Amino acid sequence: MKKVRFLLSMILIIAVAFGIVNSPAAADEAPIKIAVAAPLTGDNSEYGIGFYNAVTMMAESWNEKGGIQGRSIVVEQFDDKNSPEEGVSVANKIASDKDIRCVIGHFASGVCMAAAPTYQDYKIIEISPSASHPDYSGIGDFIFRNNTVIMHEAKASLDIAVNDLGKKNIGIISIKTDWGVSTAGIVKNLVEEMADSGATVVAHEEVIEGSDDYRPAITKLHDAGADVVICVGMYNLVAPVSRQYKEINPDIQIVGFSNSYSEELIKLGGESVEGVAFPVIFFSKSDDPKVQEFVANFKEKFGSEPSALTAQAYDSAGIYFTAVEKLGDEKDSDALRDEIANLTYDGVTGTTKFDENGDVQKSFTKVTIKNGEFVLLEDGASK
Amino acid sequence: MLLQQIMNGVTIGMTYALIAVGYSLVFGILRLVNFSHGSVYAFGANSILFLISLNIGIIPAILIGILLTGILGVLIDKTALEPLRKKSAEGITSLITTIGVSSVITNLLIARLGSQKKAFPALFPTGEIIVGSIKFTYTQIGMLVISLALLICLLLIVERTKIGLAMRASEQNITAAKLMGINVNFVISFTFFLGGMSAAIAGTLVSSYYNMAYPNMGYTAGLKAFAAAVLGGIGSLPGSLLGGLVVGISESFAATVLGSEFRDSMAFIILICVLIIRPNGFLGKKSIKKV
Repeated sequence: MKKVRFLLSMILIIAVAFGIVNSPAAADEAPIKIAVAAPLTGDNSEYGIGFYNAVTMMAESWNEKGGIQGRSIVVEQFDDKNSPEEGVSVANKIASDKDIRCVIGHFASGVCMAAAPTYQDYKIIEISPSASHPDYSGIGDFIFRNNTVIMHEAKASLDIAVNDLGKKNIGIISIKTDWGVSTAGIVKNLVEEMADSGATVVAHEEVIEGSDDYRPAITKLHDAGADVVICVGMYNLVAPVSRQYKEINPDIQIVGFSNSYSEELIKLGGESVEGVAFPVIFFSKSDDPKVQEFVANFKEKFGSEPSALTAQAYDSAGIYFTAVEKLGDEKDSDALRDEIANLTYDGVTGTTKFDENGDVQKSFTKVTIKNGEFVLLEDGASK
Repeated sequence: MLLQQIMNGVTIGMTYALIAVGYSLVFGILRLVNFSHGSVYAFGANSILFLISLNIGIIPAILIGILLTGILGVLIDKTALEPLRKKSAEGITSLITTIGVSSVITNLLIARLGSQKKAFPALFPTGEIIVGSIKFTYTQIGMLVISLALLICLLLIVERTKIGLAMRASEQNITAAKLMGINVNFVISFTFFLGGMSAAIAGTLVSSYYNMAYPNMGYTAGLKAFAAAVLGGIGSLPGSLLGGLVVGISESFAATVLGSEFRDSMAFIILICVLIIRPNGFLGKKSIKKV
């Protein structure tokens, strides 16, 4: 018995020794790692899986070209379950892996903001394809987003409600998360600013995300006389709200945000989401050949159309790879950060150029749902 | 608007009552809070949605789903709880086991069906009847009628049939019932079967009301129904109905008066208030020995 134990421990020691001796020799050929941190399970897994698919697709297209400086790209996925607590633990996990210098993610602004300080401390680039909370990019200079700040998007949503749909009595229904609360506040302020157009907020209801029954809130909005409802939430809020609202008022207009641009919205909402409108910065039916190529490839690979945020994740990964290629490698964090900050990247979501905060400015396309498909608002309205 | 909110509350309260019945029945006989009940409810709704997607027709899908969920209830008892009873394990062991079972069922559902919310077809035609200032949608009326009919059925089974007599006998004294020649194990299985079926029916009604089903739907619904069962007096069927209605209506009012964000905590606030005054709930019997 003792002999066996001795033998085993020797084998272990040798194995460990070899491991240590071996690793530096292999480092030169080590792949470039990029992390995707997003909800891969749970309610918002649709988005997280989209992020992962998009980044994998971008990585594969680089690998086909021979990688970066002969090194292949490896995508690692981390599931944050869209919870801030999990987000921080994922961030620490990523920080403990010295090879990962860039994270694409997280999804919800609240999770991004919980995780961002860790990335900033370890000088890891975080590019969120979806965070739109005003305070997110201010957390540090390593924190970027390839999404517009919610102020601009809220303006575009209100523009749809007031100018395109011609409604004045605005009801707001918002989810009670960091993002939801701050966005609802921004929408209210914007309505006040445009008071001369006659638009007013008649009622505002906060709901718990995922509580499924929004009828009490809807009854209140309806009694306050809302004729358009701004839905501050994801597709899983917009779909049930439109369905439940249309039971008591079939003429209600629902306006959402770009994060409801997802095939799941139509699947879950069915007929009731007809006419739901929202602004996006990426539209899969655009005439741009670059977009069409991306959409075709994505469809072939994953069997569904990419959503706006998926496209933003795709470009985010592209930005990082381009910066690494220009620089030669990813070892010098500060140089990498500067490279990304100064980069002008031409992708499927238009031209991306980060400003001094790490934010981007993009133009919006207005989209609505007609006959179970996403169409441009002007096309949908004219028919 | 006040009446409308009451109506909204009554509708959802009835389904809480249906779930609460499952807690009550099992507690009555085994003196055990079966925390796997919420996941059984989710299983009912999700399996029916899955069966509907197989295109076997909505009615057969629902019937098979209800039956399957009833069988799941029996399976839980046979695999997880009966072995513990045979070894006369502590009550707390069974309690923890049911929490574990609940986690197993939910995660199996996620593994098989994915965790996203899926659209659930409407079971009732759209449309409404307006009485005075209240609108009753057909869905709400359908839910009310079915839940009420089912609760009356359950009450009749327990009060008027032979198996019901056996259930009540086991409830009073399980050892004495055994000595009188009652097949107690069968009675327990039957109880779990009834609980599972009523949970599946509640799951179907709620999913069709909200137009969606997903594996995690049982968590809050299960807790609220448990609160309803305790509120009405756990072990009493009319108590479950009363508890369910109180929880449903108070939620609806909380959403109107205090704001929607208070909705989900209302069941527990009421529960605490009532239990301070009446520790056995509205219609509960006194002298509960173990929990």
